[in-house]
Amino acid sequence: MRNILTISKRELTRLRARVGGDARATFIAFALGALVLAWFTLQSPPTIGAGIYRVGVSPDAPEIRDGRFSIVILDRATGVARLNQKAIDVFVDGAQVLTRGDDKSLYAAGALKRYLEKRETARVNAEFDLAHAFPLRIEVNYFDAVNAAQSFAEMLATPTPALQSTAAPASASDAAVREQIREAASGALPQIKSLTDRQIVVPSLTTPPNPFGQVILAFLFILPVFLVSVFFTSGFMDEKTNRKLTMLLSAPITPFQIIIGKMLPYVTFSLVGVAVIAVATRGDPLLALAIFAPAVCFIFGIYLIVPMLYRTFKDTTFISMLATSVTTAYLITPAMFSGISDLAYMSPITLAVKMYRNEPFGLQEYLFAATPLVLIFALALYVSTRVLNEEYLMGFRPIHRKLADAIFLIINRDHLSASIFVLSLLLIPLVYVAQLIALAISLNLPTTLMIGAIMGVAATIEEVAKSAGIAVLHERGLLRSTRQMLVLAFLSALGFLAGEKGLLLVTLSAVSQSRIAGVLFNTGLLPVPLAAHFVFTSIVCLLTTRFRVRYPFAVLVGAFAHALYNLILIRGIQ
Amino acid sequence: MTALPSTSLRAGFAIVKKEWRSITREKTIVIAITIQLFVASFSSALLIGLLSLYDPESISVNARMNLRVGVVTSDFNTPLARYLRDGNLRVSLFADAADATRAFERRAIDVMLVVPPDTLEPVEMKMILPRSETFASFILLILREPLKRYENSLRQERGVVVNYTEVPGQPDTTFQFLYSVIIPMLMLFPAFVAGSLVIDSLSEELETHTLETLYSAPLSLNTIFAAKIFAAFVVALAQCVLWLALLRLNRIDIQNIGLVLLLAAFIAATNIVLSAFTATTLHDRERSQFVYSLFIVIATSVSSVIDAAPIQMVTRLATGDYYTGIADVAKYALVFLVALVIFFRVTKKMVVV
Repeated sequence: MRNILTISKRELTRLRARVGGDARATFIAFALGALVLAWFTLQSPPTIGAGIYRVGVSPDAPEIRDGRFSIVILDRATGVARLNQKAIDVFVDGAQVLTRGDDKSLYAAGALKRYLEKRETARVNAEFDLAHAFPLRIEVNYFDAVNAAQSFAEMLATPTPALQSTAAPASASDAAVREQIREAASGALPQIKSLTDRQIVVPSLTTPPNPFGQVILAFLFILPVFLVSVFFTSGFMDEKTNRKLTMLLSAPITPFQIIIGKMLPYVTFSLVGVAVIAVATRGDPLLALAIFAPAVCFIFGIYLIVPMLYRTFKDTTFISMLATSVTTAYLITPAMFSGISDLAYMSPITLAVKMYRNEPFGLQEYLFAATPLVLIFALALYVSTRVLNEEYLMGFRPIHRKLADAIFLIINRDHLSASIFVLSLLLIPLVYVAQLIALAISLNLPTTLMIGAIMGVAATIEEVAKSAGIAVLHERGLLRSTRQMLVLAFLSALGFLAGEKGLLLVTLSAVSQSRIAGVLFNTGLLPVPLAAHFVFTSIVCLLTTRFRVRYPFAVLVGAFAHALYNLILIRGIQ
Repeated sequence: MTALPSTSLRAGFAIVKKEWRSITREKTIVIAITIQLFVASFSSALLIGLLSLYDPESISVNARMNLRVGVVTSDFNTPLARYLRDGNLRVSLFADAADATRAFERRAIDVMLVVPPDTLEPVEMKMILPRSETFASFILLILREPLKRYENSLRQERGVVVNYTEVPGQPDTTFQFLYSVIIPMLMLFPAFVAGSLVIDSLSEELETHTLETLYSAPLSLNTIFAAKIFAAFVVALAQCVLWLALLRLNRIDIQNIGLVLLLAAFIAATNIVLSAFTATTLHDRERSQFVYSLFIVIATSVSSVIDAAPIQMVTRLATGDYYTGIADVAKYALVFLVALVIFFRVTKKMVVV
C-alpha cells in the first residue's frame, strides 16, 4: 500500500510541475469555465436540427418557439410569394398551414404539425375544464391470450387504480389525467410501465418528449473522466520518453503497484467529480458513486491499454479517440432505450437516469450493469501488469507486432493449454466490440453487399481471435508437434464457445421476456458449433505451421470456410 | 535566417510530405477514418432506429395491415372505426364483449378496445393488449394517431375546437437527422481530427527537441509551421471530399455542395491554426491536448446558442436555405485570415529555439 501511495505522490508531483507556475490559475479558470459553460448548455438539452426550417407566419398566427424553426413574420400575399420563391419552407396563415408540395416543405410542415399539436393541447388544457379538454381516457390492460375471459371478468370487478385514490367518483380518471399533464410538461422520459399494471392514458398527452435530455445529463458524469484521461496516458508516456520507467522497474515494486499508483489520483479525482456533479444536479451522491465507480474504472482500464500500445504521439491520440468513441457508444446507446427494453441496464447511465427519475432499481440490475465493466477493468489490469516491462514499452514496432508480443507475454509458458483456453475466452468482449464496429460501418453498404461483407469480416475477426495465440507460440518455437497444435486448437475453440455462450447467457437472463431470447437460443446443439470452430481454427493453424502459408492468408482461408458454414446454416434455417 | 523562396518552398514541401508519410505509415489516418465512419453509421442506425420507436408514421403499411383491432361498441357507426380503417388497420366490430374476448383468446384479434356509449361525460375506454412488451408497445404506437383523431372528434362534440389537425406533411425524422447531425458531423469531424494531428506533430517536435534540427536546415520557423498546418489541412480537406462523395453515392442530395466544402475547409483551417497556436504556446502534448479538448467542449457549448454557428451553417447550406450563401462563408474566411495573421506574428516569439 505504501508503495502505491508513493507512486501516486510521484504522479501528483509530475502533474503539479506540468500545470504549475503562472499557468496554474489560467488553467484552472479555463477548466472551470468549460465545465460551467457545458453545464449551462445542458440545462436545456440541445435541439437536434436547430434552424433547419424557415417558417413564415402571419401576424395573427400563434407564436412559434422552437429552435428548429427560424421565424419570419409576413402578410399573406408576401408569405405566399416567398413560399413559391422557396425563401420559406412553410407559411402559417392564421389557423391554416400552407405548403409548397416539395419534400423539404412537407418535412417542415410535418415537424410544424407536431409542434402545433402540442401547443394546441396546452391551449385546450388552459381554456377548458378537464372533462372537455380531455374527453377520452383509456385504461390499458395486459392479458394473456389463454385466459383472457377470466382476466376480463376480474378487470370489470376491480376498480381502476385512479378510482381508489380519488374522493369524488365523478372525476374517476381525472387524477390520472392530471398526472399525465404534469409528466408531459416536465419533459420526463416516456415510460412503459410493468405489464401487470393498469394505467390510464390520454391520446393527446402520450406524445413522447425528447428522450435525450436525461441521457445527456447523465453523460455529464463521464465527461470529466475523458478530460483527465489525457493526463493519465501522458503519465506513462512521460516515463517512457524520459527513461524514468527503467528506474522505476528496477526498484522493489511490482508492475501492479506502479499501475494502481499512477491511476489512483485520477480515479480519486473522477470519483470526487462524480459526487460533486451529483450534488450540483440534486442527485444522491452516494448512489451516483455506486453507479459510476465501475464506469470510471472501466474507462481508465481502457485508457491503460493505450500507452501500452503507443508508438508515437499521434498514435496515442488516435487510439484514445477510438477508445473514447467506442466507450461512449457502449455507455450511451443502451441508456437511450431505458424504459423500452431491459437491455438498457447494460449501461450504468440507465441507472443514473432512474436515479434522476426517483425510480428504484434492484441489485440484479446493478450487477448486470457493473459486472462487465469491472471484468474488463480487471482484464486490462492483468494484461498491463504482464506487458509492463521496458523492452516491450520502448520498442518501436508495427502495431500487429506489438499485439503479438503482448499475447506472448500474457501466455503462461508453464501452462500452455490452460493459457490458450483462457485467452480465447477472454478475447470474447473484444471480438464483440470489433464485430459491432464492423456491423455499424457495413450499414453504409448496399444490402446485398452488406450481408456478405459483414459475414466475411465477422468470421475473420473470430478466426484471428482463436488462432492468434497458437500462431504466436509457433513463431516463438514453442509448439512441439502437430498433435499438440491440434489439441491447442480444440481448447481455443472450446474457450471461445464457452465465452460466447456465457455472454449470451448473461445477456439473456436479463432480457428473458423479450422475443430476442427465443431467436438467439435456437442455435442448435453445442457439439456442432464446437466442431466447426475447431475445424476452422485447425485450418488456420495447420496452414501457418505445416504449410508455411503466411498468417494473414491462412486466416483468410479459415475465415472463408467459416463464413461459408455460417451462410449454409442461415440458408438451412430459412 | 533567410532562404530563397524556391528553396524554402521545396524544403517546406518536404516537411509536408514527411507529415503525410507519418500518418499513412502509422495507419493513424485509417484509425481516424474508422472512427468517423463508426460514429456516423452507429449514431444514424441508432437514432433513426430509436426515433422510429416514437414515430408511428414511419411504420410501413404492411405492418399495419397485419394488425387486427377488435372494437366492442353499441354504435357500429362510431367514428373510431373509420379512423382506425383510415390508418390501414383491420377492424372487427363486436356488440358483445364476451365475443371479443373469445376472439382475443383465439388470437383472431391482436388488441381489444371497449368503447362505452358517448354520454358527453368523459369517455372511459378500456384497451386490452397482449402481455408482450415489444408487441404491446408497437400496437400502442400504431393506435396513437387514430385515437388522437377520435379524441379530437369527441372534443368537437363538446364544443372544443382544435386547430391544425389537418396540416399536410411528412415525418421528418430522417431528413432532420441527416442534415442537422450526420452531414455537419462529417464536415466538422475532419477539422477536429486535423487540430489534434497538428498538436501532436508540433508538440512532439518541441518535446523531443527535433525542431532544432529542422530549424538548422535552411528553413524559417514560419515555413515549418506553415508546412505542418498545410499538411494537416490537406488531410482534413481530403476527408471532407471523401465524405461528400460517399454521401452523393448514397444518393443524398446536398445543395450548395461547393460552398459546403468551402465552409468546412475554412473551419478546418481555423481550427488547425488555433491548435497550432495552443501547441506552440504550451510546448507539450499533455497540456495542449487537454486545453484543446476543453476548447472543443466550450466551442460546442457556445455554438449551440449562436445562430451562425458551424453546425447550423452546414445544415442550412446543405438544405439549400434561401438566406444562406457565400457571404456567410466569407465571414468564416475572415476569421481564418485573422487567426492566421495573429499566429504568424505571435508564435515566433513564443517558440525560443
